[in-house]
Amino acid sequence: MATRLSIMSFAHLHADFYAGAIAALPDVELAGVWDDNPQRGKDAAAKYGTEFFSTPEELFAPENEIQGTIVTSENVKHKRDVLAACEAGVHILCEKPISTNVVDARVMIAEAERAGVQLMIAFPCRYTAAFGQLLRAVRNGELGEIIAIKGTNRGQNPGGWFDDPSLAGGGSVIDHTVHVVDLMRVLLDQEVIKVYAEIDTAFNPALPCDDAGILTMNFEGGCVATLDASWSRPGNYPIWGDVTMELIGTKGNASVDLFVEHVDTWRSGDGSYLWEPYGDDANAALIAEFAECVATGAPVPITGYDGLKAMEVALGAYRAAETSEPNDLPLP
Amino acid sequence: MLSVAICGAGGLGTRHAQNFRDIPEAQVTLVYDVVEEAAAALAGKVGARVASRESDLFGDEVDVVVVTTPTPQHAYFTIKAAQAGKHVLCEKPMCRTLEQGEEMLEAVRAAGVTFMVGHVVRWFRQYARARDLIQAGEIGEVGVARTSRINTMPSGRGGWFRDYALSGGVTLDMTIHDFDWLLWTFGPAERVYSVGAQRLMPELDYALTTIRFESGAIAHVEGSWADTGAFRTCFDIAGTGGLLRHDSTRMSTLTLQRRAAEEGRVGVQVPSSPAFRSPYMMEDEHFVQCVLTGEEPAISGDEALDAVELALAAMQSNEAAGEVVELS
Ligand SMILES: NC(=O)c1ccc[n+]([C@@H]2O[C@H](COP(=O)([O-])OP(=O)(O)OC[C@H]3O[C@@H](n4cnc5c(N)ncnc54)[C@H](O)[C@@H]3O)[C@@H](O)[C@H]2O)c1
Repeated sequence: MATRLSIMSFAHLHADFYAGAIAALPDVELAGVWDDNPQRGKDAAAKYGTEFFSTPEELFAPENEIQGTIVTSENVKHKRDVLAACEAGVHILCEKPISTNVVDARVMIAEAERAGVQLMIAFPCRYTAAFGQLLRAVRNGELGEIIAIKGTNRGQNPGGWFDDPSLAGGGSVIDHTVHVVDLMRVLLDQEVIKVYAEIDTAFNPALPCDDAGILTMNFEGGCVATLDASWSRPGNYPIWGDVTMELIGTKGNASVDLFVEHVDTWRSGDGSYLWEPYGDDANAALIAEFAECVATGAPVPITGYDGLKAMEVALGAYRAAETSEPNDLPLP
Repeated sequence: MLSVAICGAGGLGTRHAQNFRDIPEAQVTLVYDVVEEAAAALAGKVGARVASRESDLFGDEVDVVVVTTPTPQHAYFTIKAAQAGKHVLCEKPMCRTLEQGEEMLEAVRAAGVTFMVGHVVRWFRQYARARDLIQAGEIGEVGVARTSRINTMPSGRGGWFRDYALSGGVTLDMTIHDFDWLLWTFGPAERVYSVGAQRLMPELDYALTTIRFESGAIAHVEGSWADTGAFRTCFDIAGTGGLLRHDSTRMSTLTLQRRAAEEGRVGVQVPSSPAFRSPYMMEDEHFVQCVLTGEEPAISGDEALDAVELALAAMQSNEAAGEVVELS
């Protein structure tokens, strides 16, 4: 029997990527959709040839045999949806950031544990071939001790609820810190113990949230790192943004540019210039792994704790920016 | 005809000597170096005499002293030269300490001589062009400016670059180019935070520095003496109205390749961006014009000292591990 997954909310645009990935996987099925915006949910259900349910309880009704669910609601609603899945005994893949505060994240992790369901966090960058190869090189000691990492996760402002701190929990810093911090944690196998940041609303002064952030981090083993978590790419930039890291090691250096693979594309019709990407589909690999864990009971490789530790750095960065002082982690 | 004396016949001394030789209004007459063979070799190349004693630099026949010694000696020679009434072109960084810088400014002011520090990046046209575009408002208000300046660990005669106490490491010696450009473009800095690896000198040095400017702009500045490849720079400057980007590795107008022809000889590929006049030449021509006309150099002593102050603040933040350093 195919593994039966569902999607809770199409608020996040990644929901479409995940639904597409499910459709492409042979042994996985999109068995239902729920959304607190019924029209959006119905449209998605129609598009992906599945059923729309008007409450989480109906979605998780026993006859639907939902085994796992993907939570792609607005950040502040992750907790609500994760707890509903826990209640129903359904495994969860939750979009990043896990939540918008430490208390909610801890509740989500504890509830999943109590319910005996797995809580995985969507960090698809881990599923690129380039990162996998970098990780092997680092673990084999090819770079020696990693002493510094310079990271960027710059993008265009996604707009919509991402600009609303009451739904997103912040702006570009909460949106763009966690992916690269997660990669750094995996590479170093260490936690961030101190974070400093300069954060501002720089590119669109009318926004109610931040759109520029430069973070500086100290890892417990002595490695230092910076991360550009800004929505600094203009609207006519040829791609949504980037995820890059440069590693400086005692024996060598490495750099990754995860989404650089593209064909330069000029369309004379609309005067556009775009990067048409052809690289790995990290989202598909992420969904495949989640479905596999749901089917076999294997432990998910990216846990709620990973989600919490990455989010903590973003929250610490906001505190640091407010006080213009570095902030110690973990947060109390 | 300006008579130019070169003090320090190393890498930069050689470059300036060759430039002044080629500038019609100037002539290199003297070369001084503690290593006499170095002075002799350069003097031979540019048709100058070897100064047998330091004091020759300050003799009547000299108009201009070009200070291209290691950084800690910049103050000593600049002050001596100014007191002797010589115009001074001093390599960057202006000095190793702020006290040295203050004394230098005092000396050149008191003497009324022309004084300029060689912040040559102002003549690198990609940087000048970017600044012009920013000043013209082409990308609106700048939010985040990122710069990178990346090289292998340099040595210098006797390895002085590798001694943090002498060179100040990558931050004072090389990143100062970006600090100067950023201050020139965005105005005064408010605070600075820096992390890095200078503890690993002399093997490598690497620093990542965040600067908040009074204008509100945030800068992220990468300085690396930890690379294995050819020298390179880049910038990425984002504003409310657009983005400026430059990557030196992608701007080669000419690449020459050599096929591995003989046994044991490797093929090479040498990318380059030839220009009719190098930035160093434009800098030296500008200095000559200033000396001849009495006009103020494009880089004031105060600006050069501001760049040193910013670099030293970044180094302080880095050494103290976690200190945000406010600038006056
Ligand atoms: N603008 C640039 O792009 C650039 C590039 C490299 C270096 N620099 C600067 O130029 C200066 C010189 O650097 P370099 O690369 O030529 O170094 P270098 O080591 O090649 O040359 C320094 C020379 O000074 C001589 N010297 C040392 N102490 C002396 C003294 N007390 N009196 C006289 N001579 C003395 C040395 O023998 C050597 O020949 C430094 O301040 C450096 O930071 C600028």
